[in-house]
Amino acid sequence: MLSDDLLSCSVAGALVVPHFLKEHDHPWLRALLEEHERFIGRPQRELEARLREPLPCQSPPRKLRLAIQVLSRFRPSPRKTAVPPRRARALVFGEAARTLALPHNVLSAVAASLGVTHEDLQDSLFGDLPGERLVGAPAQPFSTTELALRSNLALVQALLCRATVVRIEVEGNTRTLVRHAKWRGLICTVAERSGAADATLELSGPFVLFRHTRLYGRALGELVPLLAWCPRFRLRAECVFQGRRLSLQLGTGDPIFPASAPRRYDSRLEERFAREFRRLAPAWDVIREPEPITAGDTLVFPDFALRHRSDPARKWLLEIVGFWTPDYVARKLALYRGAHLSNLILCIDEDRNCAEADLPPEALVVWFRRQVDAVTVLRMVETAHCPG
Amino acid sequence: MVVPEAYPSLGIGSDRPSQYQKVWRAAMKGGARQNSDHAPIMKLRFDRGTILLTDPSKDLKLAEAPGVLWDPRVNAHRAPASRYPALKRWLLERGARFEDITTPPRPMQEAWSDVDLRSYQEAALSAWELGHRRGVVALPTGSGKTRLALAAMHRTRLSALCLVPTRVLLDQWVREISRVYRGAVGCYGDGVRQRAPLTVATFESAYRHMDQLGDRFDLLIVDEVHHFGSGLRDEALEMIVAEARLGLTATPPRDAGAVARLAELMGPTVFELAVADLAGGFLASLDAITLYLDLTPAERSAYVSLATVFNGVYADFRRIAPDVSWADFNHHAARTAEGRRALSSWRQMRRLLALTHAKRRALEALLGRHRCSRVLIFTADNEAAYAIAREHLVMPLTCDIGRQERDDVLERFRRGDIRTLVSARVLNEGLDVPDADIAVIVGGALGEREHVQRVGRLLRPSEGKRAVVYELVTRNTIEVGQARRRRQGLVVRRSAQL
Repeated sequence: MLSDDLLSCSVAGALVVPHFLKEHDHPWLRALLEEHERFIGRPQRELEARLREPLPCQSPPRKLRLAIQVLSRFRPSPRKTAVPPRRARALVFGEAARTLALPHNVLSAVAASLGVTHEDLQDSLFGDLPGERLVGAPAQPFSTTELALRSNLALVQALLCRATVVRIEVEGNTRTLVRHAKWRGLICTVAERSGAADATLELSGPFVLFRHTRLYGRALGELVPLLAWCPRFRLRAECVFQGRRLSLQLGTGDPIFPASAPRRYDSRLEERFAREFRRLAPAWDVIREPEPITAGDTLVFPDFALRHRSDPARKWLLEIVGFWTPDYVARKLALYRGAHLSNLILCIDEDRNCAEADLPPEALVVWFRRQVDAVTVLRMVETAHCPG
Repeated sequence: MVVPEAYPSLGIGSDRPSQYQKVWRAAMKGGARQNSDHAPIMKLRFDRGTILLTDPSKDLKLAEAPGVLWDPRVNAHRAPASRYPALKRWLLERGARFEDITTPPRPMQEAWSDVDLRSYQEAALSAWELGHRRGVVALPTGSGKTRLALAAMHRTRLSALCLVPTRVLLDQWVREISRVYRGAVGCYGDGVRQRAPLTVATFESAYRHMDQLGDRFDLLIVDEVHHFGSGLRDEALEMIVAEARLGLTATPPRDAGAVARLAELMGPTVFELAVADLAGGFLASLDAITLYLDLTPAERSAYVSLATVFNGVYADFRRIAPDVSWADFNHHAARTAEGRRALSSWRQMRRLLALTHAKRRALEALLGRHRCSRVLIFTADNEAAYAIAREHLVMPLTCDIGRQERDDVLERFRRGDIRTLVSARVLNEGLDVPDADIAVIVGGALGEREHVQRVGRLLRPSEGKRAVVYELVTRNTIEVGQARRRRQGLVVRRSAQL
């Protein structure tokens, strides 16, 4: 987590406002990248010493420290030395303890026994220390834009590390956020929908009930790069910052480095079905992860929506019950029974051994082995009456 | 409010019968059972550092139960795990029926060997037992706090989680437990996650994983417990159900707020002895010698100009806000260019004083004089430690030196193959450093607590041993006051309960 002195932000009323690195910061970011590049292959301590001095152009101190911190995350590479440093230390310090000779003489004696020069041995002694490691180059060279975006992400995540509760109004990609929340042990509740948002998620941890804890800050911060893949979002986080309770707000378009694209499909089964159906049914849109459906006090996320292009009222929700555990199948079917959906198609693997009585009575069912037959599904959506 | 389907562990409709081991049918004291046999039974479930209570009887006023709050997110009552013992007592007193959380597995009794204690350790353990197995024991470094913890685990026969501050101590504790317990010893930290009835975890791992570990142990032991009480990681101690709690430290906190918080988390200080209480008997006798040194004219000139920049800003700040802390000053100063210059000057002053010309000369002389002794050199920072290592060819022990090499170096120091070690922080706390007779304190940064821990490194007793601590202090600098303050930690405290 970034320390307070690296957080480039200000407090305005009850809000903490991050000072994002933007285009006007590019000149000094470019200068910083050039300096970094100049020191690639040289000891880390030399770069650190250089960066303690000002850059050739004006740079805001906090933003600069933040960007330096982000750059330093690229691990320096170990240095090649004439003698492995650990061995050099064992021999030199052992010999120094054994004899009463002067340090210079000890080094010379050990160097001679190893067949290396005095200087090489001296150089090897601490060649593996962090400051002695060599400045590494990123796998892909950084652009100023990328460094700015990565710094902004680090800044926002550091602020969210101080957060207790996060509320996100989101449109699209909700499932990814909920899945992440589950994986990180967060409690995720869904409030009433507002406006065009698919859902309003409130994320916090169990212990938040008792204390303004930072326990979940890291998990909450990990949501930020995922938000970039939501077509629209608005985030509001309750943070404890400088001893005060403040809010952090983020929204669509904030310049933050995105996570790599989330996987579009959960399985090859789903991917193959989507591909086949699109090929066979050009008149139908295949919508991956349509908006969630309320089922009692929970939400369910159907795998697909199939919507007729010229008649959007003809819309079917499709769920593929594939390689699931019996408990999960039972729970999922119970949810769908509770949802009372009249436009649901369930594609069920025959190996799941689902009893007819467990299935939602309103649902159309397609049984499959190994792969879902897109032709059968197409015939079903074309011929069955869609309640709309 | 709607709960996403993708989050099944919220406790709604996700009962896990295997987790519930006991149904408490409490002995009713003159009252009828509150639930009929057919009514749903209340369930207590450990949920990520908390206790979740579901299906309570309508007659039970859970809002009055210790630590319990209504959690609207999951429509259930919830309490911090640390309140579990009090909550359970409260429920039993009211004759409530409930499915309890799983009882943690106990260590194998036949796997234990006897753990002998010295008289003061026995007294400390008795004081802890008398304090209902809750409390902090403060004993000097080298007086056998780990031994005391082993005896507590052995005698209580409880499953135990031991928290230690560093990875080095993690290994050390696992080794120490394995010496007296033949069963598996669990380990959480340094990339390892193994759970057993006796488990050792670093503070960091405990903070991260207590949501999974918190219901598996009846006894919590915290080494170097002074790290808790004012920090962010206190929650780790609130997320565990263990009722028996033993804190160990050589330097209990003195700040009233931290003392109170630690008492809440672990219990009050039940036994305390200082270095002076045991020196000459259970600990080695000790001579403390302070060498006052001068700066060279060039160093003095640099020091004065740096001090002028710093003092100007700092004095102004203290005039406006006389009672604020150093952290507040840092925070304030970082906002202005003048403040940043002052902080930079402060750092440069510290760097200058870390290893002055006179300190180098004095150290050379001391190393020459004690060439045949085992010597520990303590510095203010790693930079000074490496400079000394290069100049005098003495082995540095820093955070940069890997674990295997560190173990190897300590073993060689034990055997006498290496006679001098230099370190900034690593040797300060907890590490089982083999017997040393001489310490040279070239610089320090952390005050009284650090000083007590450093001096403690010399106190392991042996026949006729008289340890010597040299402090190198630069005249007419900030070091004079720092040295005076840090020595406060060595004075006699009290010899209670012996």
